[in-house]
Amino acid sequence: MRIRVSGLVATTLAVTLGLVATTRAQAPAAAPKAAIAPTSAAAPKDAPAPKTPRTPWGDPDLQGTWDYRTITPLERAREFGTREFYTEEEKKALETRAGRRMDGPPEEIRPGLTHAQYWTDPGRFISDGYRTSLIVDPPDGRIPALTGEGKARQARAPNRNNAVNASWLDRGNQERCITYGLPSASLPTLYNNNIQIVQAPGYAVIVHEMIHEARVVPLDGRSKLDEHVQAWIGDSRGRWEGDTLVVETTNFNGKNNYRGSTTGLHLTERYTRLGEGRLELRLTVSDPSTWEKPWTVLLPMRPTEGELIEYACHEANLSMFNLLEVARDAEKAAAASGKAPGAADPADDKQER
Amino acid sequence: MNRSRVLLAIAIVAISVSSLRAHHSFAAEFDANKPITLKGTVVKMDWVNPHSWIHLDVKNPDGTVTRWMIEGGTPNTLIRRGFTKNSLLPGTEITIEGYQAKNGANRANGADLILPDGKRLFMGSSGTGAPKDPEAGK
Repeated sequence: MRIRVSGLVATTLAVTLGLVATTRAQAPAAAPKAAIAPTSAAAPKDAPAPKTPRTPWGDPDLQGTWDYRTITPLERAREFGTREFYTEEEKKALETRAGRRMDGPPEEIRPGLTHAQYWTDPGRFISDGYRTSLIVDPPDGRIPALTGEGKARQARAPNRNNAVNASWLDRGNQERCITYGLPSASLPTLYNNNIQIVQAPGYAVIVHEMIHEARVVPLDGRSKLDEHVQAWIGDSRGRWEGDTLVVETTNFNGKNNYRGSTTGLHLTERYTRLGEGRLELRLTVSDPSTWEKPWTVLLPMRPTEGELIEYACHEANLSMFNLLEVARDAEKAAAASGKAPGAADPADDKQER
Repeated sequence: MNRSRVLLAIAIVAISVSSLRAHHSFAAEFDANKPITLKGTVVKMDWVNPHSWIHLDVKNPDGTVTRWMIEGGTPNTLIRRGFTKNSLLPGTEITIEGYQAKNGANRANGADLILPDGKRLFMGSSGTGAPKDPEAGK
């Protein structure tokens, strides 16, 4: 991991130097400005609150297909401290870079990264115009420290970097098309950054485009499942708090840990529709044995044209076959040359965050 | 915050953005040290998940033909970015710049796709290239 990160630092610094030249050429006199509060996040105080549309049976209507692409990172760069918003200059530089990666000739592919950026669809805009991180709590915009137990667990975890791809079992759940997992399926990634919400009396269904998982969320106040009943994406129960749909998800089986999370993972999603054009998700993640305190993400979404597109992940998962073939061929080549097969490339761990 | 600190922060942000999880590891399958340019005729394109594949007949210097498979983006992304089933029909002459499979198989990860008129895929599009980009004008 250390090797990969320092490689990325070096490469990114180089890329950024290029960016500096571009930015200077395009905006020679731009002076850094003070942080600017987003205009889309907070309506003027005297403006009437946006009216939440209603379903025919009277519930707040959150239905639709919602797009949450953004280039704002989940965690804020440490350099920003508690600064929530980029300056105009920073925003422009980052969005220019993102647009260039989407539209321009592919940048050099670095080991560990998959695919040219332009095959992907990560978005090109900063969240809420200026946000420096999706995490809004704690105030430093970063996932809290691991607990002692969390650290010990991480130290005991098998290091996938040393895997030799002996079988598909050495690859991640997402690569095996089992699940994208939660909260991953609710957070921006390289593509499929959409959810659909469908409602019926007493139910809400949240469909994640990434690996097309659908969560059927009962809203009738029934008790949650027994703790011994566990699932890959847990079990969700919902309720209305005013016009906000609150979904609590527990009963995870722990086989798809998110940054070391366990069966104690507890997600609280709060979906609030702010007018026609904005659905806001506040997602609080907690797992007391993993992180020292809970953390919260603010993810604004926009309505998007059309339906979700089916992502039949295992339709033709040739990559899995191919990478196992590559691993076996490497073993044969090593045997033929009398050397032990080497460990996998340290960069070969990108299927897990 | 002075300018150099701003730029350092941007560099770090860029790393975070680059670290988004992708579906398959490039490094497990392809070799970043084996860049390859293939000029050939499209045989077919598989619009399949999790990755599309372009089948390309490439004429060798000795006149023989080798069939290559080029890995591309997921169909969801291609459609949203305006690349449809009619964008790359069988018989089209294209050039692919990419990276070959680690084991030397006739497979590559497509980094760039150059169409017969010299246009590079997606280049010059505004927004995502999709007809109605919800981010457009944001």
